[in-house]
Amino acid sequence: MLEVQDLDAAYGELRALAGVSVRVGSDEIVALVGSNGAGKTTLLRCIAGLTRPRAGRILWQGQDLGVLAPHRVVERGVAMVPEGRRLFGHMTVEENLSLGAFSLRARPARQATLDRVYQIFPRLAERRRQLAGALSGGEQQMVAIGRALMTRPSLLMLDEPSLGLAPRVVESLLGVLLEINRAGVAVFLVEQNVRAALDLAHRAYLLEHGRVVGQGRGAEVLADPEVRRAYLGPLAVEP
Amino acid sequence: MRGLVQQLILGVLLGGLYGLAAAGLSLVFGVLRVLNVAHGELIMLGGYLAFGLVTLLGLDPFVALLLVIPLSASLGALLYAGLFRFIVRHGEETRIKNSLLVGFGLALTFQALAVRLFTADERSITTAYRGRALALGGVVVPLGRLLSLLVALLLIALLHAFLRRARWGQAIRATAEDWEAASLLGIDVRRAYGLAFAIGTALAGAAGTLVSLGYSISPSIGLEWTLKALIVIVLAGLGSAFGTFVGGVVLGCAEALSAVVFGGAYREVVGLLLFFCVLVARPQGLFGRS
Amino acid sequence: MTGGGRRVGVGRTVGTAVALALLGLAPLAVTREDWLNLGVVFFLLVALAQSWNVMGGQAGQVNLGHAAFFGLGALATRHLWAGGVTVPIAMAAGVALATVAGIAVGLAAFRLRGAYFAIGTLALAEVLRIAVGNVLPEISTLPAGAIAAYRLSDRYYAAAALAVGTTLAVAWLAASRLGLAMEAIREDETAAEASGVGAFRVKLAAVAVSTGLAGLAGGLFAFYHISYYPQHAFSPTWTFDAVLITFIGGVGTVHGPVLGAALFVFLREYLALRWVDLHLLIFGVLFIAIVLLLPGGLVEATARLRGLARRRRPPLADPAGGTGRA
Repeated sequence: MLEVQDLDAAYGELRALAGVSVRVGSDEIVALVGSNGAGKTTLLRCIAGLTRPRAGRILWQGQDLGVLAPHRVVERGVAMVPEGRRLFGHMTVEENLSLGAFSLRARPARQATLDRVYQIFPRLAERRRQLAGALSGGEQQMVAIGRALMTRPSLLMLDEPSLGLAPRVVESLLGVLLEINRAGVAVFLVEQNVRAALDLAHRAYLLEHGRVVGQGRGAEVLADPEVRRAYLGPLAVEP
Repeated sequence: MRGLVQQLILGVLLGGLYGLAAAGLSLVFGVLRVLNVAHGELIMLGGYLAFGLVTLLGLDPFVALLLVIPLSASLGALLYAGLFRFIVRHGEETRIKNSLLVGFGLALTFQALAVRLFTADERSITTAYRGRALALGGVVVPLGRLLSLLVALLLIALLHAFLRRARWGQAIRATAEDWEAASLLGIDVRRAYGLAFAIGTALAGAAGTLVSLGYSISPSIGLEWTLKALIVIVLAGLGSAFGTFVGGVVLGCAEALSAVVFGGAYREVVGLLLFFCVLVARPQGLFGRS
Repeated sequence: MTGGGRRVGVGRTVGTAVALALLGLAPLAVTREDWLNLGVVFFLLVALAQSWNVMGGQAGQVNLGHAAFFGLGALATRHLWAGGVTVPIAMAAGVALATVAGIAVGLAAFRLRGAYFAIGTLALAEVLRIAVGNVLPEISTLPAGAIAAYRLSDRYYAAAALAVGTTLAVAWLAASRLGLAMEAIREDETAAEASGVGAFRVKLAAVAVSTGLAGLAGGLFAFYHISYYPQHAFSPTWTFDAVLITFIGGVGTVHGPVLGAALFVFLREYLALRWVDLHLLIFGVLFIAIVLLLPGGLVEATARLRGLARRRRPPLADPAGGTGRA
């Protein structure tokens, strides 16, 4: 399981995280919500190894991830789907997915994992030889998630997977996350689409200005008047 | 007319080497975002290495090539581990500027070293087939240079295949496009960088070998070849091995044409002016979106 | 900016004055010509380096085509002087030609940033060099009358005046508003532009000053040498020497180019006997070390030794401080 203890992070003079502590159990779906600039992406980047925290610890299955380079974090079974998907647009869908099995952990079972990914996302099987850059937003997100699944993670982190996607697509993606979780992968989900995220998650954290200001079971956080006021108010118009 | 065709043929033969020279720099620039302006000196050193192997060990130049390639690759790995590894710690714009300066220092160092070791004289590899040439309908095609062109093309094809098919080739391509995303998939980006740099240097060494075979080398050719490589990269863009090769051939032909029209003394000028014009037309550099 | 003209202590002023006095009296005391020649070369390199320093060091625009303006200054000066014009006017014409060319290059090339500007200017300078080499391939020699009237001490004083003049110009610039604007552009061009610094005009001013001074140095070169190939003054070696000297001395500082030139000339002369280009090898390695480790060059090194340590942020560092762990 993932345990973040008292994490501090900054970009130069700009404080991004202050004393953040979160926990993700090995069979949970945990959501991280908060407004733009709250530090959600920074937290994921620290766990994934892309950003070095100033203080605090990141424990995964008892081991400290804090000093590991990103590719080593992947070897330990923690994968991240970054914001904006960041596919390799000049490579095909299949090439993108195959690269996901680059690590030692994932390489032996590459074909089997690939078959499984195509099962989860049948649309990608149809488009396997197309350039990733030519796909629609929803399909690209599928590739991004599929690619992360190819690393055979035990913890899958996603940064704003619903960004720019139609509601039906979002619904189906969240359904996939549920399926993945049932198959034994922990999910740590950062989402702007608070309602959907909190619906799906077992637990949630609320991050504000780099601090954890609320946490609880999905529905609880939803009922919190502060959350409602801050997020669901202006989001009430969403379809 | 015959004179023009002859010049064009020679231009193509030389242009293939321009393409090979550029391919190494293009790979390094594209993947590491590092502008190693000592690339020409790496070509020069490769040429001297080949020259040494041929004259001291009596090897055939193309056999020497098989040795120069791994030796150059090792030099590249060393340069990365000892120097360029530190440059890639910064953001893109800083990397490019820093590598320009460091490359400049490196070029000077290598050139001074070469002058010391080999003297400033021009050298070239002489072989049995160097003097021979094919005569095709009135134009003369020097055999050594033709073989060099074919070898250059072969190396480009191998590079292309590697980047397309091989696991690490794909990893390098992925790193070039988005290094963070690549590292999130388990790719050790530093290793990808080192590998790309080693391959780039190997290609430079190969180009140098072919240059010393078909033409001549001296310690001061570095700047000239770095400029040629830069011109080809700016003309052909990054990202395609064959595209770079074709760009080299185009430059070779452009030079040949301008030599015929304006006289041999102005041969280089067309490439340099083209280079400047294309650069100014794309001020965001080679990586920006148009 | 450390060590600039703003904080020249009394001790330093006195020291500089004494050094200048000694250098000024040298021709009277020294009769060996090779020492005076060495002096001229040293002053010439100081002037050339300082002229590059204005653009490369203070404004942060690395111009690798600097030799072109040096060459143009030499060309105009030589041509006019050989045609009967007095030296000062010939030199002024050299400055004018170089400055006009500099502004033209600036207008054409300022769209390019950073390294692209550097290689773009290098390409243009090479074009000019090739053209000059083809148009004027013969050696340029002074007419017999001028050779007979040649006085090395004249050249010495002219060179010394040039070196002092360019150094003072850099010092004055550093303290002026224009200098501050140039510094702002060096640190972060986009930010400077956004804050209304008028980057384009500042860069144009920088290039005009830089190339004008280079042209003046070129004029001195033409005044000093009895015969030379016109193409030689356009050789990129002049640019590279200026860059080396400036960086090793301390890019962007006032005293840097002076220290760098002193070391350069010393090494070159001292090592010339054993190993012809050894000084270049040493400088190449030093240059790399300085770019990566000690961006303030010799000036920073001596300041640190003297405990005046003020850690200078490397001018080429990533402003965000780099967060990756790759």
